[in-house]
Amino acid sequence: MDTDRTTGERVFRRDPDLPTPEDIRERVLALEEAGEWIVQRVPQPYREVPTKYGWPKKVPLQHTWHHKSCGQCGHIPGYSTAIFWLHRKLGLDYDDPRDQTSCTGWNYYASATSNAAAQAAVAARNFAAAYATGYFPLIHCGTSYGHYKEVREELVKHGELRRQVREILAKLGKPLVMPEEIVHYSEWVYAVREEIAARRVYDCSEVVVTVHPACHYYKLVQGDAIYDPDIYGGQRTAVVTAVAKALGAQVRDYSTWFDCCGFGFRHILVQRDFTRSFAVSRKIETMIEEAKPDVVLTHDTGCVTTLDKSQFAAQVHKKKVGVPVMSEAQFAALAMGAHPYRVCQLHWHAADYRPLLEKMGIDWRERWREFEEDLERIQRGEKEYLTWEDVDAEVPARHFLPVS
Amino acid sequence: MALHAPPKLEKYADVPYEEKERLFQEVKSDPRFPDYLYGCYECGICVAACPSARFYDFSPRKIAQTLAREDVELFYYQLNEDVWNCSQCFSCNRCPRGNSPGGLITIMREVAVRHGLRSAKEALEGYSRVIYKIMLTGTQVSPDMIQADAFPDWGPVAKETAEKLELWRKAIPPETMHTTSTAWEVSDQTLAELYLIWYMTGVLDMIREVDEGLHMILTDVMEEFLEEKGLAVAS
Amino acid sequence: MPSDVVLVIGGGPAGLEAARGVADLGARVVLVEERDRLGGTPVFEQYAALTHGFQDAEEVMDRMVQAVVGHPGVEVRLRSKVVSCEGQVGSFRVGVQRLEDGAPATVEAGAIIVATGFQHFDPGRETQVYGYYEYPDVITLADAEAMLKAKRFVRPSTGLPPERVCFIQCVGSRDRQIGNEYCSKVCCGIASKQAIEIRQQVPQCKVYIFYIDMRMYGYWENEIYWPAQEQYKVNYIKGIATEIIRKGDKLLVRGEDTTLGRPLEVPMDVVILSVGMEPSKGTREVAKVLGLKQNKYGFIEVPHEGVDPVATSVPGIFVAGAAAGPKDLDDTLSMAGAAAMKAVAALRRAAVAGAAG
Repeated sequence: MDTDRTTGERVFRRDPDLPTPEDIRERVLALEEAGEWIVQRVPQPYREVPTKYGWPKKVPLQHTWHHKSCGQCGHIPGYSTAIFWLHRKLGLDYDDPRDQTSCTGWNYYASATSNAAAQAAVAARNFAAAYATGYFPLIHCGTSYGHYKEVREELVKHGELRRQVREILAKLGKPLVMPEEIVHYSEWVYAVREEIAARRVYDCSEVVVTVHPACHYYKLVQGDAIYDPDIYGGQRTAVVTAVAKALGAQVRDYSTWFDCCGFGFRHILVQRDFTRSFAVSRKIETMIEEAKPDVVLTHDTGCVTTLDKSQFAAQVHKKKVGVPVMSEAQFAALAMGAHPYRVCQLHWHAADYRPLLEKMGIDWRERWREFEEDLERIQRGEKEYLTWEDVDAEVPARHFLPVS
Repeated sequence: MALHAPPKLEKYADVPYEEKERLFQEVKSDPRFPDYLYGCYECGICVAACPSARFYDFSPRKIAQTLAREDVELFYYQLNEDVWNCSQCFSCNRCPRGNSPGGLITIMREVAVRHGLRSAKEALEGYSRVIYKIMLTGTQVSPDMIQADAFPDWGPVAKETAEKLELWRKAIPPETMHTTSTAWEVSDQTLAELYLIWYMTGVLDMIREVDEGLHMILTDVMEEFLEEKGLAVAS
Repeated sequence: MPSDVVLVIGGGPAGLEAARGVADLGARVVLVEERDRLGGTPVFEQYAALTHGFQDAEEVMDRMVQAVVGHPGVEVRLRSKVVSCEGQVGSFRVGVQRLEDGAPATVEAGAIIVATGFQHFDPGRETQVYGYYEYPDVITLADAEAMLKAKRFVRPSTGLPPERVCFIQCVGSRDRQIGNEYCSKVCCGIASKQAIEIRQQVPQCKVYIFYIDMRMYGYWENEIYWPAQEQYKVNYIKGIATEIIRKGDKLLVRGEDTTLGRPLEVPMDVVILSVGMEPSKGTREVAKVLGLKQNKYGFIEVPHEGVDPVATSVPGIFVAGAAAGPKDLDDTLSMAGAAAMKAVAALRRAAVAGAAG
């Protein structure tokens, strides 16, 4: 522990001599040496980022196989689209596969109508599919990420499970593959946050942000999460907050930062009173009372869904609600000039986002008019779909500089 | 908050002890069990972190304590009354002994499902369409699940989304996302591989225990599909 | 040529007691201390009252230091460090470096006593999210001790006396995830002692202790635990806290009141973390220089602790105090006495063996 000379504040310095918990990646590599599986290496170019116990983690910048999220693609399509759009604007190539299943984690956590072998086989099948393309899996959903970390632990610890999964994959004609790192897209956003900030078009300095970190990102298998000495003094996970700060927004704290959002898996479908009550009373109201945010940023599908969709019904009970919720990817894209409807697909969101857009200087009326024209053209049969070409053409060419 | 009332174990007095003991042993012998339960300090840090503990009469500490003490009667009670309240957030993984009450609950739920306990069936009522989606389509959540009558509390956006779904889905740039019945476009080969995984790992047998009707539909569709692809359900 | 010197490494309570003991037995002592003054952790961290009998720490340590400094049999070398070691019991050759100028020296010793002590767990590490590096009002036992000694126990953020203070026990101990699986032994006693001192110095302040178990061995039960509850109305709550976060101008402590069976969330002015013990940097370094086996936590390993509490893996080298693991003051002083006795016995045996040829 040191004391900062200028502020007199305590500064945490990790002592490299003190032992840390076991790094599971060492066991992953050891199992490759023993011939148990193939470890897919993180391709160059990658960046090393700091994690909870001080170990460096490799985050690939491109050549990534995007493991999509059901909830994002299904209900929050602007979330997935924004992640892809950020890659395109930074000139970083990616693969959007059809040979991908859901991680099936939501079903597993909600209903337990599955088992350890099935979950591990689903994960391994997806990893093998990525491996076959040579592109490295980048996981969109926080629960997929958490679940795959769990699966990795189980496969490392239980030889019998490995054998069973290897046999199943062999019947599918696939090898047993484990990626060198399990990487969440918000870690990629963290790694390229300076490049994102350099391409910022709108002023975010007046935007007040509250951050909600996803439980499955930093509580479920803790060692992979990013902790940065410059963000929260390395005492809380750095993703989301880091990019919000890089964009110049004001990140404000609130007293239920560590609380779950209340998603609950099964609850969000069949016992929503729990989810709604928890999300509104513990998170949204507290954020509004203590921080008065213009937007709530988070990095997981379930969290966006819960916090965005729980606010409407609560108005009837005169609860203090009404703050827009989105992923940091969508917010970063907006700040870089992405179309709020064509790219960020904000019309799928429940809580009103228009005051935020106005504060940033984005003319949402004009943008909505453009989007309605797109919809009309599609309806008239003039075009089949909205395409990347339609969207790529928008932001001025100077923002197309590739990242090295 | 009111003090927790002691559990009314009499509710399950007519279930034979051997049955309760059998289910307890099944939980205990799961390969994951030793990773999820060491000893228990009974310190309550898991309850402190737990969102469900604030809303329900639910305590991850009591789940861990019951299993650590091997209290079969209390275990059976919790298996029926408590395990479906867990929100599977794993905030309880804060435990200094390295326990995972959420993980223990996962195992308990699987045992409840495998044995077709009525409490499991009741908990999963209304959930079968999600199982249907995940088993058959390869994505769990699809755009066409947002129906106004299913999500009235989400506000007018649910209604608008449902009405304009087909059109809105065409106005999303990624090529894989122009779907309505699945979250993204999943290739047939991928689906076939997924079905084979469900068969080979016994998941379909689990579903039969909690929803026979659903099971019938799933196996019909899957077997037909696999036949079309020239694949058999390998044992 | 067998030596009649015992080298004592470390000038805290263990080292001071061992040095005086060896010298009282008639052998010669060289006492090496890295810092610029003797007294070790109780002096460096400005302990107020010792847990045993609430004696004034400064007075006690003064007496211990004077007993050594004035003793003709003891040569004290401050600002010095052990950097190398060769030989075996009866004739060790130890390289001692002066820190100012790096001037080397060799000490020939027949036996060595390691008394290099402990350091506190750093609450910024691993699973701890108690906000020590975010909030000045979250402090450790050591920070609290210094304020109590100065008779100025205040909220660091305001400089004013607090109204609500709590302790959180077992911070950095008894934790499989952090890896410090052991109990640090002294924190329950220290926290209860400090709770009493706070109630004495700031009578209007309410004090809480959040614990997993209360470890009140022997007479601590009736001398500390009972008075804390009965006289000083300290509130003991069985239930350990998750994170600390600010709410308004208070710190929010989230826990479960397990005996009453309900989650609790309480605001506090000051949160005191009962941080555990770890081997000090000096202990870890000296272990390597002397070739001593360390246990998995990095403490000096004592092969048969219950039977021979001061032996190390190397004959002729003994350990006293927290360098061997969590110890309280009477453990430490007992070990120092035993180590002194065994070190002198080792010298005598080596001398006899040497004379015999």
